[in-house]
Amino acid sequence: MTFLMITGRTVNQGVTVENKTSAEYAAETSTCFMHEFDMLELGLDDGDTVRVTGPCGEVVMRASASVEVEMGTVFVPYGPYANHIVAAGTRSTGMPDFKSHEVEIEPTDEEPKTVHGLMEDLGGLAYDR
Amino acid sequence: MIVKDAVCPFCGCLCDDIEVEVEDDRVVAVANACELGMTKFMGERRMKNPILRDGDRWKDITYDEAIRYAADALLSAERPLLYGWSGTHGEAQCVGVHMAELIHGVIDNTSSVCHGPSILAIQEVGHPGCTLGVVKNRADLVIYWGSNPIDAHPRHLSRYTRYAEGFFLENAFRDRKVIVVDIRKTETANIADEFVQIKPGGDYAVLSALRAIVQGKTDTIPRTVAGVTREQLIRVANLCKAAKFGAVYFGLGLTMTQGKYKNIRNAIELVSELSRHTKFTISAMRGHYNVYGSNEVNTWMTGYPFGIDYSRGIAFYNPGETTAVDILARKACDAALVVGSDPAAHFPRKCLEHLADIPVVQLDPYPNATTAFCNVQIPVAVTGVDAEGTAYRMDGVPIRTRKVLSTDYPSDREVLARMYALMQEALER
Repeated sequence: MTFLMITGRTVNQGVTVENKTSAEYAAETSTCFMHEFDMLELGLDDGDTVRVTGPCGEVVMRASASVEVEMGTVFVPYGPYANHIVAAGTRSTGMPDFKSHEVEIEPTDEEPKTVHGLMEDLGGLAYDR
Repeated sequence: MIVKDAVCPFCGCLCDDIEVEVEDDRVVAVANACELGMTKFMGERRMKNPILRDGDRWKDITYDEAIRYAADALLSAERPLLYGWSGTHGEAQCVGVHMAELIHGVIDNTSSVCHGPSILAIQEVGHPGCTLGVVKNRADLVIYWGSNPIDAHPRHLSRYTRYAEGFFLENAFRDRKVIVVDIRKTETANIADEFVQIKPGGDYAVLSALRAIVQGKTDTIPRTVAGVTREQLIRVANLCKAAKFGAVYFGLGLTMTQGKYKNIRNAIELVSELSRHTKFTISAMRGHYNVYGSNEVNTWMTGYPFGIDYSRGIAFYNPGETTAVDILARKACDAALVVGSDPAAHFPRKCLEHLADIPVVQLDPYPNATTAFCNVQIPVAVTGVDAEGTAYRMDGVPIRTRKVLSTDYPSDREVLARMYALMQEALER
């Protein structure tokens, strides 16, 4: 199914932001908040993993029901998971389309990667594993 | 020991009433701060010493070696990118600008991916703003548009708006109306007197509709605008016109969606329109505690607020070309210095692929996502915790952050000044 992906701040993202290699930060920023009817449609329970495909790649996240998002929209806290699929174009403003990306979401059996894993996929080297 | 009136170095609110309890050079308790601020003061797991990437492993090195490495790497680059700056004090930002000029680099701060578009709009139509104190004491109407302070600026509501006392308001909680405009029904929306829910991407249309109503052209408004009913739009416009003093606070819900700076321009023009009827102001909800300072320092030193390119020897500014995301995505820099931010967590992946290909030096107290792309990381003191320096609050008021404990970590300014001295020495030879 196609969704509009919005990224933004959450308290938990802010609390863990100085500790980006922690499991808590990874759990928060890999959460895909969805409307429960959309989850029903995709056969998802809270905590099930989903493959989210954006304009420049795919990433595995965990679905979580939220009363804050409308049907057809998903919300993902700022962080390396959402940015793994966000395009770098800025339409000559310097600002990528962080809140207006169309993504495809489908259930998957894969687990979300760690932040270290995502960084190493792009050529980095984890430090405090 | 209890340090009173400490300044919180997390968000743009720069709350200056924090009490920090310190024992044996460790923060053991924090009072008055929100959860975000408390975690920042209590931060642990700092990097102990500078590290160098050596093939597929990390090696501990000394500060002297790390600073020498950083100076050499940046000096030998043709067009280095100096990025971040919002998580450090103004004194360090000053050294950064001098360094960019000396080595013909590009200096950009995190506002290019937060309120950069707001600044572009302000450059077009100006900024009718005011300090937070004015809003606290006078505003009887506050509008949060595309911002969710309960999550991002938790004490904004209690110190300045919803739950704050106001000198010129008899009963502030009753007399002050709060309107929230958002595409999500956030926690902040739940405490609003009026919640306006817009369809994603519809902000520009709703702002235009409100402007039309305020101008008296109500007949031109269709039954709904981006999911908002005509009746609600008229009600909101009337609330605004009836207010004695209104304040709009907007967040990244306007800057990151389609339309970007044009949304902010429209919001500022709505405020100008409202000011023909009553008093109205508008300000940005700035994220990093000193992102406003990075714009101030850059502007007074270079003439431009962010994205300043010194590769021609003079300051050149062209957002979309000289901004960090664009430079990295186009592979248009050949080294990077990162200070007080974490681009690997907050930039699109294409930018990280280029970071992996070039020498990267980072100044940061903690291992973060960008650490993985570093050749060298230099741990520094945390401004507001074990270093002091000037920061600018979201309303442009400079506040001196305090040092609440002592450590052996050097401040950002000290490390940058040493790098700068080495660069000067090398260039004079």
